[in-house]
Amino acid sequence: MSSQVRLALEKVGKSYWRGPHETAVLKEISLSVYAGECVAVWGQRGSGKTTLLKVAAGLEAPESGTVRFKEQDLGSMSRSALVRLLREEIGWARRAGPESDELEMLDYVALPLLKRQTLRRARRRSAAALSRVGVGECSKGRWEDLTDGERTLVSIAHAMVRQPSLLVVDDPTANLDVLQREEVMGLLRSTAERDWLGVLITVPDMPSMVHAHRIGSLSDGHLLVPSGNLPERDNVVEFPARGRAAPG
Amino acid sequence: MSAKNAVLGLVIERPGYGYDLARRLEARFGSSGFAPTGVYSALDQLSSEELVRSAGARPGAANERAAPRTIYEATPKGVDRFEDWMLDDSSLAPVRDELYMKIALSRPHNLSRLIELTQTQEQGCLARMHRLRQPAGSLQGRPKAWSEVAALLVRDAEIKQLQARIEWLQKARTIMRKLSEAHQRSTARGDGIA
Repeated sequence: MSSQVRLALEKVGKSYWRGPHETAVLKEISLSVYAGECVAVWGQRGSGKTTLLKVAAGLEAPESGTVRFKEQDLGSMSRSALVRLLREEIGWARRAGPESDELEMLDYVALPLLKRQTLRRARRRSAAALSRVGVGECSKGRWEDLTDGERTLVSIAHAMVRQPSLLVVDDPTANLDVLQREEVMGLLRSTAERDWLGVLITVPDMPSMVHAHRIGSLSDGHLLVPSGNLPERDNVVEFPARGRAAPG
Repeated sequence: MSAKNAVLGLVIERPGYGYDLARRLEARFGSSGFAPTGVYSALDQLSSEELVRSAGARPGAANERAAPRTIYEATPKGVDRFEDWMLDDSSLAPVRDELYMKIALSRPHNLSRLIELTQTQEQGCLARMHRLRQPAGSLQGRPKAWSEVAALLVRDAEIKQLQARIEWLQKARTIMRKLSEAHQRSTARGDGIA
């Protein structure tokens, strides 16, 4: 497996019990996300998109198959190592916002850094993260004052402030109009390329996938990929070899 | 749908010669399925109706023996005709599909093949979606000019059609899988339905 692979799911399966009935949500899903690329998975409501992201980000364990992050099998890691990995390496953009309405966005985005850094340094990095996603002017604002587009971008800044290797975003274009959507998706793609980051997103709306490097669709627990360029077997979303080197 | 109005609109935007117009038509309306040669027959028709005319010729490349290429521009009559077309009602695309016909005429023993076909078609829709993606290094951020927004809206419409198609394919496949399993069970019991 290439060292450029940030995330690799191999034949991952996951089921939920609804009453007496077991429902298979993910069936032998294989998917990889490389450094510098944005991968988008589309699915209808209830198709398992959020479950896929939770399993990919190590928040839920699969019942079968393996999830590797930078070649480390999450299933074989200790709980403390997994917690450290989730804290340091994987950024999950949460659109719920801060728990306190009083928090200014500068401090909200700085929160993930406070265990290890001084408030002053954390705020400096927070301001930089907000500026990088284009909402530097929101640093003194509160969550309730922000538009949907600004909330999305602040959530991305919050997930990015630790400079993770993988960014995971569930439906980044919810409630956005076409122009805001272009801005957010263009940002996710350019961030992946510029910061040599793997980005995995799920979307319920196919036009939101238009900036992604690779796409797939979830249906009946299976992941389908575009015909013509990839093998169907094992539902593998594989990236063609590009011979691309990481920036120095 | 004829390429005529599309070619007339492109010539009004900017005069061009046949190959140039064919490339611009592909870039703007590639998913509409216009044949590249359709540009030349459209130009012939537009010329005979005096909607476009020659605006000179582009010389062939110095190292080629190619004949000069006629550059077309719109006539005032052509501009008026295009504005009339813009004001006309737009027709809905006809719903014609071979898969619909196959499903309508199928029998239970065809279900397994139809399930495969829905999967192949879904992957085909994804491949089309893949081709409609934003090219690397192109537009970043929010589009500003109306031409960019218009292109975005048209691309969205095309992608939304693909999404609707995929949603239907997935639902059809789910139902067909259930019925196929029931059919196999009833066949095994010897009380198969026709």
